[in-house]
Amino acid sequence: MFQNFRLAMAWVHTWFGLFLGFVLMVVFFFGSLSVFDREIDRWAIPESRFEPQPMPSFDEILKPVFEDMQPSRESVDQMRSRVDGPMPEHFDTPVRWGAYTTHRDPVLGLFAGYQVPNAHNPDELVWGTRTIDPRTGESLPDDQLKIGSRFFYPLHYSLNLHWKDLGYWIVGLAALIMLVALVTGVIMHRKLFRELFTFRPNKSNQRSILDLHNLTGVVALPFHFMFAFTGLVIFAGIYFPVTHTQLEPLHDLHEVMESQETGLPHERAGVAAPIASVDAMVAEAQRRWAARDMAGDVGFLALQHVGDANGYVSIYRAGTDRIALTGEGIHFNASTGEVLREDPPPSAVERIDEFLTGLHLQHFRHWLLRWLYVLGGLTGCACIATGFLFFVEKRKRQHAKRGQIGSRVVDALAVTTVTGMLIATLGILIANRLLPVSLPARGTWEQYCFWGIWGLAMVHAFWRTAPVARARLAPAWGEQCWAIAVLAVSAVVLNWITTGDHLLKTLSAGYWPVAGVDLFMLVSALVAVLTARRLQRRARPQPADSGELSGEAAHA
Amino acid sequence: MSTAIVSHAQRLSRIAAALLGGYVFAWGFIALGVAAAFAAGMPFHDAEHLFSLLAFLLYLVTFLWSFAARDSRRVWLVLAGGGALMAALASLIQHALV
Repeated sequence: MFQNFRLAMAWVHTWFGLFLGFVLMVVFFFGSLSVFDREIDRWAIPESRFEPQPMPSFDEILKPVFEDMQPSRESVDQMRSRVDGPMPEHFDTPVRWGAYTTHRDPVLGLFAGYQVPNAHNPDELVWGTRTIDPRTGESLPDDQLKIGSRFFYPLHYSLNLHWKDLGYWIVGLAALIMLVALVTGVIMHRKLFRELFTFRPNKSNQRSILDLHNLTGVVALPFHFMFAFTGLVIFAGIYFPVTHTQLEPLHDLHEVMESQETGLPHERAGVAAPIASVDAMVAEAQRRWAARDMAGDVGFLALQHVGDANGYVSIYRAGTDRIALTGEGIHFNASTGEVLREDPPPSAVERIDEFLTGLHLQHFRHWLLRWLYVLGGLTGCACIATGFLFFVEKRKRQHAKRGQIGSRVVDALAVTTVTGMLIATLGILIANRLLPVSLPARGTWEQYCFWGIWGLAMVHAFWRTAPVARARLAPAWGEQCWAIAVLAVSAVVLNWITTGDHLLKTLSAGYWPVAGVDLFMLVSALVAVLTARRLQRRARPQPADSGELSGEAAHA
Repeated sequence: MSTAIVSHAQRLSRIAAALLGGYVFAWGFIALGVAAAFAAGMPFHDAEHLFSLLAFLLYLVTFLWSFAARDSRRVWLVLAGGGALMAALASLIQHALV
């Protein structure tokens, strides 16, 4: 099909990279923002702007909140079709309670799963969630959207497209293509390396973009590879559900063997039993971790078969001091408080898996490393964006001569996914500050604003890339850079007006979550202004050779 | 990119082989790997993790091979045929164990 191996690989790199590049852009950018998802949450929910808190007392704070919880209306509605007869008004049999926190969380997220009477599948539960102030147990309003951890974060692995898990599959394919693009890129690069020292007349513009593409791809190559790969590994169960389909019987066989081995009851006993002091169990778990020379805080606490004689409490350690995502779980009988089981030390395979997962999910406490993650992610964005620009630069003159629109369409989509994505991101933050606090389903409206603004940016991108069809620079780039600058400064000012937390205040108080988000937006505004001005200068005098600095826009 | 005699059908066949054929092959690899390793005494979750981890790397290799190989019929035969064969073997092992 192809003349030779290298041409085949170049074809794969160009076309798969182009089509999935638009998805990869979203994945890399929102993945980078997710490194600071909790901090973005603080910015978006002013009531939660206080210091991170440890897991509070279960007996005094958490238990009353759990007892007060009920499944969410959406969860109950979704379940309705899989139940014989009507749904109960009140769900009385909690199967699972859980609380999860990290070293960056001031507020605490709780979840509860309930048995549904007459459900077709008795193992299927309905779920409720709640966010509380762990100092008092007071609940935060349900419809406050955690923009960082509940919108940007899932956007980067599911595109927030949950119909038949379609978003996961698209991102998974994009991740595979990222690996493919890296390998094929290196194969192409062998020749390119030589070409860099050869004569390439009148192509300085195209070449500088290509240089930037190669540089960002190669400099962070191990980072890009690890992230795409570990991302796939984390969701291996979704992409290859082998053990829940073809090998389900084998999996069931293993589960029976496992519950015999662990001693943790798989089913309820059907006998009611009270819950002993969970605080005492937490103290015992911490004592055991300390004895292993791994003193630490509780990261995740869960109760299974709540209120039943077979109930047990699982306590997991927060992994702030290591890369590997380990739990060191210790399990207690819920009614007697006796230790049922300590998770055994991980096997070699588990150790690899925990390391790869932890490398991606970064539960560790290390701020410099966090910033390097952001930098690595943004380098990935720059690599993908310069790939688009190179595609356009290489073809636009030829397309203009032949009257083809290919490069114009690609340029418009590149504008949409580079500057347009930044505009949408700033848009949701501005909507978060402007929508009235009393608006019902406010979080849903914020999401509508995000998609609506992105849609508008796309329309603008297609409208203002018309000159590309005449081999000229698209004004859309510069215009959207100005929009980014205006929106970023507006977001910072709106934060000040609506919450009183201006930069001088947050900086002098050392409240970095909010100060950091504000500063990051101001720096983005500055970069956007510089880019827009250089694009303007470049567009004016030399109509013959335009578009040189569109590569800069990729950095914005 | 410039290519020699390329028909649309040929190109589509390569793309399908890379994506679908590769998927079937990786699936068969995981299934056979998990079943065989579990039968040989490896803990179930270890087998599951190990073979899905390797399967993604294998998928990457078969994906590239689908475009690099000279004969696309052979690509289909190896990927779809080999994948189905491995999956069938996995079911046989499972049948013997459960």
